[in-house]
Amino acid sequence: MTTYLYEKDLRQMKYNILISTRHDLMVREIADRLGVGPNQVRLAMIRRFDMSLLENLPSRYEQGQKMADAGSRVAKELGCELFSRFIPFVEEERMQALCSEVRDMIDTGLPEEEAITTGKRRIREAILQ
Amino acid sequence: MKKTVDVSIPIGPMHPCWKEPIRLKCETIGERVLRTEVELGYMKKGIERIMRGRPWQEVMFLAERICGICSVIHNMVFIEAMEGISGIAVPPRAAYLRVVVNELDRMESHILANFSYCYTIEHETLAMYLLNVREIVLDQLERITGSRINTAYMIPGGVRFDITEEDAAALLAGLARVEEDVERYTRMFATSYLIALRSRGVGTMTREKAIEAHAVGPTGRASNVPECDLRLQHPTYQKLGFTPVCRTEGDNFARNMVRFDEVMQSISLIRQCIGQLPEGPIRGGGACTAGEITYQGEAPRGELTYYIKSDEYGRIIDITVRTPSIMNIEACTHHMINDVTSVADVTSTFISSDPCVACTER
Repeated sequence: MTTYLYEKDLRQMKYNILISTRHDLMVREIADRLGVGPNQVRLAMIRRFDMSLLENLPSRYEQGQKMADAGSRVAKELGCELFSRFIPFVEEERMQALCSEVRDMIDTGLPEEEAITTGKRRIREAILQ
Repeated sequence: MKKTVDVSIPIGPMHPCWKEPIRLKCETIGERVLRTEVELGYMKKGIERIMRGRPWQEVMFLAERICGICSVIHNMVFIEAMEGISGIAVPPRAAYLRVVVNELDRMESHILANFSYCYTIEHETLAMYLLNVREIVLDQLERITGSRINTAYMIPGGVRFDITEEDAAALLAGLARVEEDVERYTRMFATSYLIALRSRGVGTMTREKAIEAHAVGPTGRASNVPECDLRLQHPTYQKLGFTPVCRTEGDNFARNMVRFDEVMQSISLIRQCIGQLPEGPIRGGGACTAGEITYQGEAPRGELTYYIKSDEYGRIIDITVRTPSIMNIEACTHHMINDVTSVADVTSTFISSDPCVACTER
């Protein structure tokens, strides 16, 4: 978004949203899944999301857990829809490309676990950059 | 770098159409809105923190002060959560009376929401008519509970006041008047060319997007998500054979029509309750004890969730409240407002989702 000289610094208020009981549980679950520290996840969220989206993240996460990536183990492991549609860390096109890369790796004979680990690393890089 | 945005328009925090302060920052290209960002923090109460460490007798009054419009459901969900923790049973008569008061609260909230929408699109005549009919509903609420807004009607194990035969007759007479008026206003809303121009096909949200953002209440049901109505899971509503109102268009018009239809549905539910009201006590016994629960109820705006942890004296150790406006404001600003073809439609689309900033910020 465009920034202005007269805009308030919202980082402290965004941080306060993210340390509530439900948000904290969600942040820790995502951090565990990505293999990074909770503060790194919080920082990525504060940078990317506005206050309303931050408030709604636990609901989106719950919905994502229920509905996202049904039917494909690779997509479920990587969180293709979860981290692009439900929690929009990565743009959908970019996430699709990352997932396709992992599927190509598996098709070319790389063991599934290894391909998923590589895919997770790339997604983590995309989220934390 | 290629220019993608013409102007970034700040709307609020103080705006004639807003009932409460909130700031939207709309990035536009020509008249089209590309993205919207929300800035909160203008009316944070910190009520969850005030609640912690206090006995339930104090917290029940604080809970209904989270929101002045849907205060009854905050009271109901908090009390039913405490009953769930402590294993307190509610007498059947009290359970029916709870539904009566809850539905009256839903009616006044929906009528107020539709008033706000009509006022925003400059149909002030219909807006004033609606505000007038809301008074009848509030009178009925006062007749039963003794108060128009913060009623504190429900207590663990029952309700505070019984309904007399004269009160029931007056309530039914009041509802007949509301039904006649709301029917007329619904027809006005549904057939007006001016309203159609500002509402039909504006701020559309698909079912997929509604599910993604977890849109709830009339906002979700207008986008064809009937399963989001938690009254389907409430035992008293199940006895009444409740089925949710639902539409498929997902636009401003649908959201308002769902609310109009739900007002009529609430009238019918109240009539059913009064007709089937069982005899018996309105209060059972029981004491609030230690435990932990996540309990949900259907507020006028949608799913309301309370997470409560209490100690053996019924003191609240931890509490988290998730209000429906958290989901609906987010769904509105990121799915409905994005891509509206005129900046003039931003305020009306935002109001059509019935946002409550007091609930969102708590």
